[in-house]
Amino acid sequence: MATATDIKPLAKADGSLTRELREDTLFKRLFLSPTVVILLLLSIFPLLWSLGVSFTNFQRNAAQQAARTAGTLEPSGFLGLGFDLTLENYQRVLTDEHLHTTARNTLIYVFLGVTVQYGVGLGLAALINQDIFGKTFFRIVFILPMMITPVAAGYLGRMMFEKVPPSALSQFLSTIGRAIGNPSLNIPFFTDPGWAPITMVLIDSWQWIPFMFLLLLAGMQAIPDEIYEAARVDGANNWQQFWGITFPILLPISLTAILIRGLELFKLVDIVRVTTGGGPGIATEPLVMYVFRTALDFGNFGYAAAISYILLILVILFSTIFLAISRQIQRAQLGVE
Amino acid sequence: MKKYSLVGRTATYAIAIFWAFICLFPLYWLFTTSFKSPLAVSRVPTYFPYLGATEDMPPIINGSFFKPTLDHWNFLFDEQQEQTLRHLRNSVIAAVFSTIAATIIGAMAGYGLSRFRYYWARLGWRNDNIAFWIISQRFLPPATIVVPFILFYGAFGMIDTHFGLILAYTSFNLPFAVWIMRDFFNALPIDLEESARVDGATRWQAFARIVVPLSTPGLVTVGLFSFVFSWNEYLFSLMLTNFNALTMPVYIAGQNNTRGVEWWYIAALTMVMVAPVMFIGLFLQRYITRGLVAGALKS
Repeated sequence: MATATDIKPLAKADGSLTRELREDTLFKRLFLSPTVVILLLLSIFPLLWSLGVSFTNFQRNAAQQAARTAGTLEPSGFLGLGFDLTLENYQRVLTDEHLHTTARNTLIYVFLGVTVQYGVGLGLAALINQDIFGKTFFRIVFILPMMITPVAAGYLGRMMFEKVPPSALSQFLSTIGRAIGNPSLNIPFFTDPGWAPITMVLIDSWQWIPFMFLLLLAGMQAIPDEIYEAARVDGANNWQQFWGITFPILLPISLTAILIRGLELFKLVDIVRVTTGGGPGIATEPLVMYVFRTALDFGNFGYAAAISYILLILVILFSTIFLAISRQIQRAQLGVE
Repeated sequence: MKKYSLVGRTATYAIAIFWAFICLFPLYWLFTTSFKSPLAVSRVPTYFPYLGATEDMPPIINGSFFKPTLDHWNFLFDEQQEQTLRHLRNSVIAAVFSTIAATIIGAMAGYGLSRFRYYWARLGWRNDNIAFWIISQRFLPPATIVVPFILFYGAFGMIDTHFGLILAYTSFNLPFAVWIMRDFFNALPIDLEESARVDGATRWQAFARIVVPLSTPGLVTVGLFSFVFSWNEYLFSLMLTNFNALTMPVYIAGQNNTRGVEWWYIAALTMVMVAPVMFIGLFLQRYITRGLVAGALKS
């Protein structure tokens, strides 16, 4: 039992702080400030600056381009200041076919990637959540791809899908194709503008299905067995148990996992860079790649910043809409129950 | 647990084994390619190592075998030693120092947000708002801030320096570190610190001697994720380094265009890049699950 005398006064009668409280105020600031300073300096400030640059005609000239190649890059004008303000970049955004294609590619990656990864991840989690032999082995093997550097995953994708040098898969497909007399099985994974984006999604999915798998498996394992037992008493079969119990309970974690993966897919670039380099044409080029090409290859910082803001707007739109939808879904779910 | 028909069981194992094959085969291919001669890569796919394999075996039957060679590994650590070790060292420096920085700074902020009450009067923000603001930075596409980084680093001579890369990676890793550590400290009973304080320890002593040792699992999780992120990062290393601080992923991605694609050599190089993270990951895999679940469930 605390009595009145146990409670130390925080401030003395004359209003000055006690040593105790002064120390606390000091540590309170000390603990949080480094993070706040770093984020302001390296995240918020660049974000605003990027917005500023996107309204300028800031462009690196040919001499600077040469200097960069020689490794002595020094942008003229301090920090990109001293350039004319212009709306040109955003006017160009509206008519730039290249930008529209890359934006479409990015959106394909996000939506297709999330769908494939969630679908397969959910299936695999349900599979391993059963009482099967070798559970630990399968779980560890299933998460291996996630531990690989994306650049390496890109190269692995090429080793699997390319025809020169002949990959195991292309050999397999052409053998089957010959056997059934259907040469169209020999899919041009990287060279066909229709197939190439799908191949990118396949490679990224190979790497990130484990993420969905791990999260959903953890979610499934947290569901108490009694719920299933009650359902079984009522005569529900496995299929009904899965859609009636497992899936609804997993819904919140599913939505979060989808959001995280979706936001990560907006950043996809390394796999594309080492497989197709954006080609054929620009059929696989994502927005991020267009940003760094515009900045590094063409030195057009103003337009690169404008494109990067288009990317940011897409990301914000995606998250806002997604969060609104998931709130609706969850409310509907609560209403039903 | 549940009862399944024989068909159901068989299908379950068939799918599980099939998927295990999908996961493992590319890794097996990467590993073996690093021991194949150029000819064994470029003619037909060769699957198994066999010391007696010769170049003129008929391709249909014996063509699936290759004669393992250590040439590419020797090349990597002999003739190419300087390049290989430089970029490997750059990767290690960038990953290790940014991990240490992000873990320490993130743990401090996480502790602060868990134990003190903040109020930013001008914004009207309290702890939860601040925490949300911090985690939202994690989802900012790095491409959005890359242009200012180039300009800023260019103006201050930080292009192609280790420090520049470490600074950038630290800021990327911080939001996750703060989020996980705050979560961790919230679950840690406050009584232990308070009794230490009653016994005369200062706030710092209570933090350093009681809280930090107890939060080792959280710190390991944060350290693991930060390390893997920095090790694998591509975009910023590409934009902010040319040579001296260039990390492995950019170096390997660059092998794409230099002398045609030398798969055997790329495979060996990729093995060098992937192996450390893979071993760390396997060793600490329970922390991976914990990090992912904590990151996803609480947001």
